[in-house]
Amino acid sequence: MQTLKNFWIPLALILSVLGTAQILSDRPGGRALAFALLAGAVLGFVLQRSRFCFFCHARDFFERGDPRGLLAIALAIAVGTVGYHLILGSWLPVPMPGRLPPDAHIGPVSWALALAGAAFGLGMVISGSCISAHWYRLGEGSPVAPFALLGTMGGFVLGFITWNPLYTATIATAPVWWLPHGLGYGGSLLAQLGMLGLLAAGLWRTWPRAEPTPPPARFSEALRGLFVGRWPYWIGGLAVGLIGAFIILRLQPLGVTAALGGAARALAASQGWIPDRLEGLDGFGGCATAPAASWLTPNVLLIGGLVVGSLSAALASRQFEPRWPTGWDAGRGLLGGLLLGWGAMTGLGCTIGTLLSGTMAGAVSGWVFGAAMFFTLWLGLKIQALLFPAAPG
Amino acid sequence: MRTMQRWFHGSACALLLLAITSVAFAAADIPQGPLVSTDWLAKNLDHPNIRIIEVSVNPGLYERGHIPGAVNFSWHRDLNDLVRRDIVSQENFEALLSQAGVGPDTTVILYGDTNNWFAAWGAWVFDIYGVDDVKLLDGGRAKWEAENLTLSTRAPEYAPTDFKVAEVNSALRARLPDVLAVVEGQSEAKLIDIRSADEFQGKIFAPPGVIELAVRAGHIPGAVNVPWVKAVNEDGTFKSPEELKKIYAEAGVDGGTPIITYCRIGERSSHTWFALTQLLGYEVRNYDGSWTEYGNTVGLPIENPAGTVWAAK
Repeated sequence: MQTLKNFWIPLALILSVLGTAQILSDRPGGRALAFALLAGAVLGFVLQRSRFCFFCHARDFFERGDPRGLLAIALAIAVGTVGYHLILGSWLPVPMPGRLPPDAHIGPVSWALALAGAAFGLGMVISGSCISAHWYRLGEGSPVAPFALLGTMGGFVLGFITWNPLYTATIATAPVWWLPHGLGYGGSLLAQLGMLGLLAAGLWRTWPRAEPTPPPARFSEALRGLFVGRWPYWIGGLAVGLIGAFIILRLQPLGVTAALGGAARALAASQGWIPDRLEGLDGFGGCATAPAASWLTPNVLLIGGLVVGSLSAALASRQFEPRWPTGWDAGRGLLGGLLLGWGAMTGLGCTIGTLLSGTMAGAVSGWVFGAAMFFTLWLGLKIQALLFPAAPG
Repeated sequence: MRTMQRWFHGSACALLLLAITSVAFAAADIPQGPLVSTDWLAKNLDHPNIRIIEVSVNPGLYERGHIPGAVNFSWHRDLNDLVRRDIVSQENFEALLSQAGVGPDTTVILYGDTNNWFAAWGAWVFDIYGVDDVKLLDGGRAKWEAENLTLSTRAPEYAPTDFKVAEVNSALRARLPDVLAVVEGQSEAKLIDIRSADEFQGKIFAPPGVIELAVRAGHIPGAVNVPWVKAVNEDGTFKSPEELKKIYAEAGVDGGTPIITYCRIGERSSHTWFALTQLLGYEVRNYDGSWTEYGNTVGLPIENPAGTVWAAK
């Protein structure tokens, strides 16, 4: 029975992903879809195995002083920055003012963006994850993730409702700052790596003392080790940075909210809950929510692949632990999700789209969103510790 | 030893001859006519006298894989004026072609997404600015991809030229007064509306999924409706001149009088403009103001068979 659950089912899942990708790639225009499904599955596998979660990484540092998770995020951004600058430098050889590389997540910098980051950070504290981690936790059987994702859809609808006033108040005239415009690609690369290096130097001071574990003596041991516990933090960071760069080259900048936001928009528009026209929204780079011609979009397959990849990794590692949700799970999921959704809509992306894909591309909007998010994350954890001294994770 | 030497000598000469003839052959090999096939282009990517230019409307397509050696022209930013509603200025067009390394002997081959609409629009702009040798890749980007031909992500760099426009051919462009002259019976030109039947009939104001930019629906009085798609086969290639002649003749357009093509903003109609001028040799002007200019102009007569009233509750 255990072998069925830990070996045969994950294997069947992986084979079905491969089979579906093969079928998709034979359809006209299906190559991008097949690539999205496979990339999503690899990403989901990696996220689950390395537990690459912005909230948990930040909490490890703020509550226990363990910087390894935040360092992994810095590593992901550093690796992705190099990849993105290489790719964007080939796409737009001269970063002339007025021109931006196609579909990169470079957004307007305004107080609305800072507010979006702040709301997103609070949503992470309340729901216990960011959107990407809720997706991979869906594959682990999390009882909170379904409610958080449902709440996120609701948050998107709130975001669409508040978009037009925010747009005319600040977003329409806000500057779209892209570092290569002012510094060139080389300067932008140096500035970003320098900034990340400084952050890493600050974080490194509290590196935990731990006994070194001996490396596996046999290959079979190493192989088994892949499905025990979790991969080292830095492997998650390295992999996410690399996957981000691969995906922008072949598909679109990495993002995990476009499909969810698009579905929320379609539903809300059909019910007449949101304005018919969302001013200027579809002209911005970011996680696009514009209605697509078909529901079968690359982003839908990326997310589908991510959940299946995470599920197979969780099963193979005996970390698939579904349980019935309690009222507390549902409540904090929905409320946190609302904040996550509002923040991701107003900020034109989440920790993956705006923070990772944006900063990797050299967008100031990514840094602003990230700074606001980590600030309220820290504040939210402080408040949580005061309100619930023994709060569960 | 001597035999060996002679053999080497002979082979070297033969190789040299082969190289010379193949270069000479390749240089003279560009097909006549306004179209090149994907098959020909795939075999002649390194032809010294061609410049392949992609004009696609979807961002990121060129960057993630284009025909090897192709240069990217943005329809929005390169081929249109950025401030007023107009085609690119002569000065900017000259700079654009100089940067792409287009010289007097260059054959330009245009291709793009969405059925070559924007590439055809490019061909029309190139023609206005008197670029002699411009061809379309028959079937466009979709056919190239469907045939699994090579794509590249590398942006090429060509030695810049000093391209100068010799003469601007404004006769290829119809303006509002030209169209009005037809409506008022002062010109014998034929108007072809190439939009869908629903747009022509006034049932809808814009194609599905496209923002409504005109406050009246319908068509210009006297225009005939031949949707652009009638000019192409299933794989996106143009139909044969004989078939095309028949299709347009059935709508009463036989090339005996000048023609004006229009659509919503002038890009789909350049596709029909290309078929009629380049493949059939008819005298055609493209009206780039199209329905978004004519249908929005106050006081002009229109026909709206469906009788829709804009924004009325």
